[in-house]
Parts: sequence; structure tokens; C-alpha cells
Amino acid sequence: MANDREILREIWEGKLPVSFRLDSDEVADFREPDPFYLMVPRLSYFPLVTDKVKKHFLKYVTNDKQDQEMWLEYNGQPLKWHYPIGVLYDLMFSTEDLLPWSLTVHFDKFPESEVYKFSNKEMIEAYFMACLKEADVLKHRGQIVSSMQKKDHNQLWMGLQNDKFDQFWSVNRKLMDCPAEFDHFKYIPFRCYVDDGYRQKLIKPVAEDGRKKTLRDLLNEMFPGRNSVRVKTHGMFPPLETPLQWLSEHLSYPDNFLHLCVI
Amino acid sequence: MTATVVCTNWRDNILTQLQERNRKESLLFQDLISQHTKAFENATRLYSENLQLSIQNEKLKTEVRSDLRTQERIQQIEQKLLANAEELTELHRRKGENSQQIIDLNTLVQEKDKIIATKDVTLAENTAKIVSLQAEVSMLDQSNRELKYLNDTLRDEHQALQLAFSSLEEKLRKMQDENRQLVERLIKYKAKDADRMNEENDNFLKNRYKKMQKEIEEACRDTRGTSPEELVEGVGPLYQFTVPTRLTLKFDAHEGEVSAVKWSSVDRLLATGGADRKLKLWDVSKGTCESKGSLELWPSTLTLRGSLVLGASNDYATRVWTIADQRLRHTLTGHSGKVMAAKFLGEAPKVVTGSHDRTLKIWDLRSRACIETKFAGSSCNDLVTVDSAGSIIISGHFDKSIRFWDSRRNRVPTI
Repeated sequence: MANDREILREIWEGKLPVSFRLDSDEVADFREPDPFYLMVPRLSYFPLVTDKVKKHFLKYVTNDKQDQEMWLEYNGQPLKWHYPIGVLYDLMFSTEDLLPWSLTVHFDKFPESEVYKFSNKEMIEAYFMACLKEADVLKHRGQIVSSMQKKDHNQLWMGLQNDKFDQFWSVNRKLMDCPAEFDHFKYIPFRCYVDDGYRQKLIKPVAEDGRKKTLRDLLNEMFPGRNSVRVKTHGMFPPLETPLQWLSEHLSYPDNFLHLCVI
Repeated sequence: MTATVVCTNWRDNILTQLQERNRKESLLFQDLISQHTKAFENATRLYSENLQLSIQNEKLKTEVRSDLRTQERIQQIEQKLLANAEELTELHRRKGENSQQIIDLNTLVQEKDKIIATKDVTLAENTAKIVSLQAEVSMLDQSNRELKYLNDTLRDEHQALQLAFSSLEEKLRKMQDENRQLVERLIKYKAKDADRMNEENDNFLKNRYKKMQKEIEEACRDTRGTSPEELVEGVGPLYQFTVPTRLTLKFDAHEGEVSAVKWSSVDRLLATGGADRKLKLWDVSKGTCESKGSLELWPSTLTLRGSLVLGASNDYATRVWTIADQRLRHTLTGHSGKVMAAKFLGEAPKVVTGSHDRTLKIWDLRSRACIETKFAGSSCNDLVTVDSAGSIIISGHFDKSIRFWDSRRNRVPTI
């Protein structure tokens, strides 16, 4: 049960200030394009929020690049758009740098080897739903997602897109619900971001002896032998005593996964 | 309890962390960024509006200009249309002219064709003529050849005849020589005869002369008067040494007085002038006198010279006629008195007249004008021109004087 509305609310309200700058090499107009400032929600994905950015910067780019995909880059690294924004920030933002987060917008030379190409929002929606289904499979063996109607899926997606807490959570609550005979998920859906990728493992939220596992346990299981592993999520370091079930219910991203960045 | 405390501990931890995070990350920038986006949107909107307005402005300007321009273009188009219409009429006219020319040229061509046809006909005729002429030529050649043959034969005959002729000529010459000789002999004999006759004549003449001398001597002792009325003057040359004694002819010359009489030195003509104002010419050669003609004048004197008759008249004028056709040639007027005498002056065609008005006038017959007037002082009765050059004129006057004039000089020696 995701009952702690205060936490959920705080999580949902997380926004980041981002300044988008067009790569100076690609400027075709004689005017210098102004940087575009935007508050982007942590829980969303970049392609959902960059419409205006694209429109703004498209004016300054030569005609032959108009049809190309826009891609973002920070510190020379292209941004993987299928990570939620908060994850990308936690991963890539270096502590010496100052907010707002300045990203460089590119239209040319899309790095196909590193980033997936996306053509439209349906692709993002498909990816989101896939993650959601994957999470549900891990949690409830896929029963709840499959029993949901199409309109519920749509509601989830629209709620995320339009930044509507109530709309989203009215459906997501079902996903956070536990089936009657259990009070915990089957497995915890999470991803540990480490070494330029992420790792997943089947980890139960409850130990064999019935004890609720904590973050510490997860880390021990994920990284055996490493003692001082710090994990960042949602821009903060959760205490290691936090129980996994609660963590999964409250600190998941909208795709129902826990995204933990290992520092 | 501890679990909840522990629960709340980590939960509070998480909450505070999240709140801290939010504060740091979003709250700081929220307002700023929203304001910025607003300002940005405003700016872009204004920019786009500005762009649109300037575009509209441009469009309006171009519309205005294009209005003008459309009007100009309309004018230009109209002008072009006019020019095109003119060109069209011009071209139509030229087309008409060209077709007219074509028609004319066609007629010319037809005429030329006709001419060519006629020329062809004449050409055919001419070739036919040539053929016939060639035939004629051949015929003529043939006849020519025949004639040449004849000519040759004639020449041979002629040569033969010439030989005969030359022999005859020889004979003739011989005859003529004989004849001449005979004639010479005859002349000699005749001459001898003539000499004998001359001698006889001479003797006879000598005898006669002697006789006459005797008679003359006798006559000188015995004088006789002559009749003034009807005198036939013997104008004969001096070698006729007889004074006329016999009256040959007597006739009535004029109705009234006969005032002047003169012989013509050329023909046997006698000219007489009378008071009947007529000048008559008489032919005395046949022994009769015939009136040749009568001429109007009041003659006082007559002069005959060559073929001309000069009559001085009492009507103050002098007239000249030709004898042959009896036509009045000149009338010389100028005297204020009767012309008493008129004579031909030495070199023709000068005439000198003396008049009652005490003047002598010299006239030029060619110009019929008076060349000179000499004042004599007295009425001139009669004139004589002395020498053939006509330089000296002698005039007898009423005042019993005779004046000698030099026609070359203007002086008057008088006697």
C-alpha cells in the first residue's frame, strides 16, 4: 500500500532546472540562439518535455537538418532518453557544476551506437508500458497489469505526460497493491546503475525468516564484498535501513522500478 | 515501537532529504524559470508579431507600388497593343501590295512569254529565209562562176581586138601626118593670097584718104548750122571721124518737151526724159525705136552708166533705175531745190548731184544717203565728173562761174 502521500507527493513534485543550449557548430542563423530554460519533472522522460525546445532550436538550424532527430548531450556524453530524467541527473551531474543543468542540443550526427533512435511519442509510451509490465511481472507475476484495461494504461500514460498526480496514482495504486495473501511483492523491481549500464537481480523483499529486507541487504546481495556502497536515488541518499517493500512502493519511478545510482 | 520509531527515523530522513532536495533544486529556480519562460515567450511572440507586421508593411508597400506598377503595366500593355495593331495593319497593307506586285509580275511574265513566242516564230521564219538565201547564194555562186568564165572569154576577145585597134591606130596616125602636111601647104598658099589682097586694100584706102582730105579742106571753107530740135547726137567714139550729117531716125519721144537725151554705152539704148514726167528707153538697134518703158519723173538730166539710169528730177529728188527690169532702185532725196544735174561719180556707187538750192550733194548708193554736201553759193546748172577716180568735180553755175571741187578735200577752188 502506498499510503504515505506526503512522500509520494514530494517525490512527484521533484523538478530540475535545465538550460538547453544549441550546439554552436550547428547554428545556421546569424543570430545566436538564446538558451532555453525549463523546469523538467524528475519522473518524466526527456522526449516528453523537449517539444518546445525542439521547436525553438529548429529555427536556428539549417534546412537539411530539420528532419533529423534531436539528441541531448552533457559533458560530451549523449543522454539516453529512455532513462528517466532524475536518473540521468543523478548519474551524470557532476557535483562541481552549478544548477541549472545545462544540456547541449544536437541535431546532427545522431550517435546511433549509443542511443536508441526514437521517432515519436508512441515509442516512448511503448517502452514505458514495457517497463511497467516487466515490473508487474516481477511484483505480481503480471496479473494486475494484464487485468487492467486499455483505458487504465492510457490514464497512466496521460497522467505521467501531463504531470497529473491524482490521475496517475489512481491507477498506479492498483499496481502498488499487494494481492490478498501477500503483503509484499514477489520480487522487487529495481535497477542498479553502475559502470555505464544497469544491473537487475531477483531479490525478494522478505527474507526467508520473514524479516523485511532493507536496502542494506539489497546492496549486500548486489555487490557482495563491497562495504561502502552509496546509493543515490531521487537526488538523495536513502538510509540503508529503509525496508525494500516500502522503498519499492514509495520511491519507485512511474515505471514502477527503483532506479538506484551507485556512487 | 522501535520499529515504528525506526520506521519514522528513516522515513523522516528520507522526507527531510527530499524536502531539502526540492528546496535546493526546484524552489530556487521555479519562479525564475517560469518568469524566464514567460519573458521568452513574450519575446518570441513579439518578435514574430514584429516580423509579421513588417511583412504586412512590405506587402502593403508593394501593393501600393504594384498598383502604380500595374497601372504603368496597363499603360505599357496598351501601348504595346497599339503598336501591335499598327504593325498588323502595316503588314496587311504590305501583303496587299505584295500580292498586287505578284499579279503585275505575272502579267509581265505572260507578256514576255508571248514576246518569246513571236520571237520564236520570227526565228523560225529567219532560219527558213536563211536556208532559201543559202540556196540563192549557191545559185549566185554558180552564175558568178559562169560569168567569170564569160568574162575570161570576153577578155581574150578584147585583147585580140586591142591588137587589131593598135594596128589601125598606126594607120590613122600616118594618115593624119599626111593630112597635116597637106593643110600646111594649103595655108601657105592662102597666106600668099591674103598678102596680095592686103596690099590691094592699102592702096585703095590711101587713095580714099587723099580724096577726103581734099573734101575737108573744101568743107572748112563752108560752115553750116544744125537743127536743135531733133538732133541725134553722135556719141560714137572719136575714131569715127565723121560728123553726122544724115538724119537716121526721127520719132516723137514724149508728149511734151524732151529735156534730156542720152545714149547707153552698153546696148543700143537711148534714154530720153521729157516734160511729161516720163523717162523712156528706146531700142534703136533694129532701126526702129521702141518704147522700152516709161519711168516717172520730171527729168532734167539723165545719165546712163552700166545697167543703171540716173535721173535728176525737178521734184527735188534723184532717181536710179536698172535698165534691165526698169525698176526704181534708189531715190535720193535731200535737196531743197530742183536737181539740175546728176552724174555718177568715178567709183561706184557714188553719185553727185547739183541742185537749184545752190548745193552739191555726194550720195552713196549703197547706203542711199548723202555723204557730203558742198555749198556752191549759186544754183548749179550742170555737173561734170572729170576723171575716173571721181576726185574732181566741175560744176557750172548760174553766177557765170565754174567751180572745181575736190571730192577728197573740202575745199573749193573757184574760177
